[in-house]
Amino acid sequence: MEAQKYVWEGAIPLQIHLHESQVTALPPPPPALILAPRIGYMPLLASLIKPYFSSTLPPGVDTIWFDYNGIPLKWYVPTGVLFDLLCPEPERPWNITVHFRGYPGNVLIPCEGEDSVKWSFINSLKEAAYIMNGNCKNVMNMSQSDQSELWNSVMNGNLEAYQRVSSKLKLATFDDEYRTLCSQKSQQSFGETDLTAQVNTGRVPIRLYVLSIREDFDDLDEMPRIDCWEKISYINRPVEIHQEDTCFTLHDALKTLLPELFSDESLTNVKLGGVDFQDAVRNPNEDVSSDKVVEDHGKNAHKHPEAGHISSGGEIKLIRIQGIEPKLEIPFSWVANNLINPDYFLHICVYVKVAQ
Amino acid sequence: MSQEEVAIEAIKHALKALKKRHLVEEGAHAPAYIALSRPIISQGSEWKEKAENLEMELQQCYKAQSRLSEQLVVEVAESRALKASLQEKETALAEMEKEMTQTRDECSRLKADLEEKVKALELVLGEREELKAQLEQLTIRATNAEAENKKLVDRWMLQKMQDAERLNEANALYEDMIERLKASGLEKLAREQVDGIVRRSEEGAEFFSESTVPSVCKHRINAHEGGCASIMFENSSGRLISGGQDRSIKLWDSTTGSLSQSLFGCLGSVLDLAITHDNRSIIAASSSNNLFVWDVNSGRVRHTLTGHTDKVCAVDVSKVSSRHVVSAAYDRTIKVWDLQKGFCTNTIMFHSNCNALCFSTDGLTICSGHVDGNLRLWDIQTGKLLSEVAAHSLAITSVSLSRNGNVVLTSSRDNSHNLFDIRSLEVCGTFRTTGSRVASNWSRSCISPDDNQIAAGSADGSIYIWSISKGDIVSTLKEHTAPVLCCAWSGLGKPLASTDKNGVVCTWT
Repeated sequence: MEAQKYVWEGAIPLQIHLHESQVTALPPPPPALILAPRIGYMPLLASLIKPYFSSTLPPGVDTIWFDYNGIPLKWYVPTGVLFDLLCPEPERPWNITVHFRGYPGNVLIPCEGEDSVKWSFINSLKEAAYIMNGNCKNVMNMSQSDQSELWNSVMNGNLEAYQRVSSKLKLATFDDEYRTLCSQKSQQSFGETDLTAQVNTGRVPIRLYVLSIREDFDDLDEMPRIDCWEKISYINRPVEIHQEDTCFTLHDALKTLLPELFSDESLTNVKLGGVDFQDAVRNPNEDVSSDKVVEDHGKNAHKHPEAGHISSGGEIKLIRIQGIEPKLEIPFSWVANNLINPDYFLHICVYVKVAQ
Repeated sequence: MSQEEVAIEAIKHALKALKKRHLVEEGAHAPAYIALSRPIISQGSEWKEKAENLEMELQQCYKAQSRLSEQLVVEVAESRALKASLQEKETALAEMEKEMTQTRDECSRLKADLEEKVKALELVLGEREELKAQLEQLTIRATNAEAENKKLVDRWMLQKMQDAERLNEANALYEDMIERLKASGLEKLAREQVDGIVRRSEEGAEFFSESTVPSVCKHRINAHEGGCASIMFENSSGRLISGGQDRSIKLWDSTTGSLSQSLFGCLGSVLDLAITHDNRSIIAASSSNNLFVWDVNSGRVRHTLTGHTDKVCAVDVSKVSSRHVVSAAYDRTIKVWDLQKGFCTNTIMFHSNCNALCFSTDGLTICSGHVDGNLRLWDIQTGKLLSEVAAHSLAITSVSLSRNGNVVLTSSRDNSHNLFDIRSLEVCGTFRTTGSRVASNWSRSCISPDDNQIAAGSADGSIYIWSISKGDIVSTLKEHTAPVLCCAWSGLGKPLASTDKNGVVCTWT
């Protein structure tokens, strides 16, 4: 599918600066220019970055971590999501700083290199499988070679290889009439046959990132800088698509996810406009636990149950998926089939203005 | 617009947005980035490769160096060793040379020595030859001399032997002569002895007197009250000694029939009498378990021999010494007394009581006659039984020795009298007759001094006389009215005396 290709080939130009505390040689090394795949993860870039700075590093053991504008970047969040979330006005190239020492253990969970990232990915996959099928047997029974092939395909951005392996997993897809309508190259299997995926009710695994902003702004570049994770709430709740609903749009999906922000239910009303809501209490929502498998059937696994509630009285300023801002009328099933990450999760970034 | 159319619009819009993004992001930047990174990457890899290669080379160089240095060490060590051995060899060589010169000198010296020795040897050999020749000669002479020597020795031996033979002959002749002389001497003596003249005045003449056969009663004496059990004559005299029931001993002159002496002191009836060969002491055996020894001249009791525990029924004194007295008592003992010591020196115990006993002539042996009818010979010094013989079937009552001491007369309750050769204990003769009954256990009989006649009393009061040579009764003497207890013959040949139970003593000639 065309959309999937775009999604997989997506890459963000990064300009990586070495933090001045790490510089031991004069003159300080120039920033490294790296293309980071959107579906990849930051720690995987270590091997590409090290050559640029290896000569200037102080002696000792390196633990790589990144930050943007002082915010340490969470390594288990795909690069594309981080970019969409933290740069309201996309900054190309994205200037981030790399550190090799002084890992902020109080903010970030430890990362021991490529293996940690791989296990994090596999866990997300299991979580997605559970949400979609009710069990994660298919992921757990994957052979060692399949697992490594899958991971390698993700690391290298090899869509064909990925599709080969992931088709064996037989994860459900969502019946989407619009598949054929929107692409000339139809009948290309999105990975599995419809027979196995005939579910009346499909659950879409979703990771929702909501950035709450107090100040008012009209333009994105006027948005004040994000300086801490506390402003971002994380919701991990699947959305159910009912088959009968021929037209379940993104808007409907968002309504189920963030009901507080949609008090008057008219489709047209919910364009990005200023709707005043009441004051909100923001609950900091920090660590995303992607390792937690969903136990309750049909329930949402929240780290902080109360953190799911965004303040009522907010106005959605921006919705970003895979770097684009889709219309709210877009069928959600299309979104669920085409814009998901390799771990079968749909990452959605939402900017919400909260009234003071 | 229908919902569908709206949806399709939205999707299209999304796709457009994705395209745009692509153009803006990776589309715009990718080439430049790739271009920029390639050199670095390639460079990096180039450098890496270079570095790796250099490292490998270095390692190899190091290895090579270590190998070379090892070799070097080895070589150095070898060369040092070789140097050292070379040094040694040189010193050894020098030494060898020195030694060699020394040995050469020695060698020359030895050669000189050798020549001298050889010369000397030749000289010596020559001398040896000469000596050998001399030796031969001498040996020949020696052998000759030995041969002569031997011959001479043989001749000498021969001479000696001849001499010895002659001597032997001479000796033999001499011995012969001596023998003949002896023999002729003995013949002469024998002839002299056989035709001997016995002169009556000489001592020992009485040995040759012939005893007469008694036939007439000369005296009849009432000697003792109650009975006279024992009578005897003094040695070689006519004095008669009698001992009786009345505890007295009386001495009579047998020619006159008168009492000459009485001895008192006996505590019991006198059962037997004995007199020493010198006629000085009289010993009486008493029924009071004692023996009394009187001195004849003083008439006093000199010894009392105590020790028996029952009546003493027989006593005899040695004919050789007057020291040893032997007594037999009814306590089954025979005691040997030493009169000088004054006590019993030996006690012989025997199960059968002894009724009569007598000394042998040499005084070393006793003959005893026992109740069991056996005659026994004892050695008085050891007290051992020498020999015994079953003399009679009943108790022996009398044992008396002949004058010559060769035969002993035994009388027994079985009314027979036997003569025994004392050495062989063989019966020489037996005498009995009807009517002759031995009166009591202690009836004594006797032999005549010429050893030819036997006199024995009988219970009917008569006395029978047998001749030993004839073996027959030659006389019967009747006078007594009571059983005859004891007979005694004088050493002079006559008279014969007898006693009976009434105490009457008769003498017969």
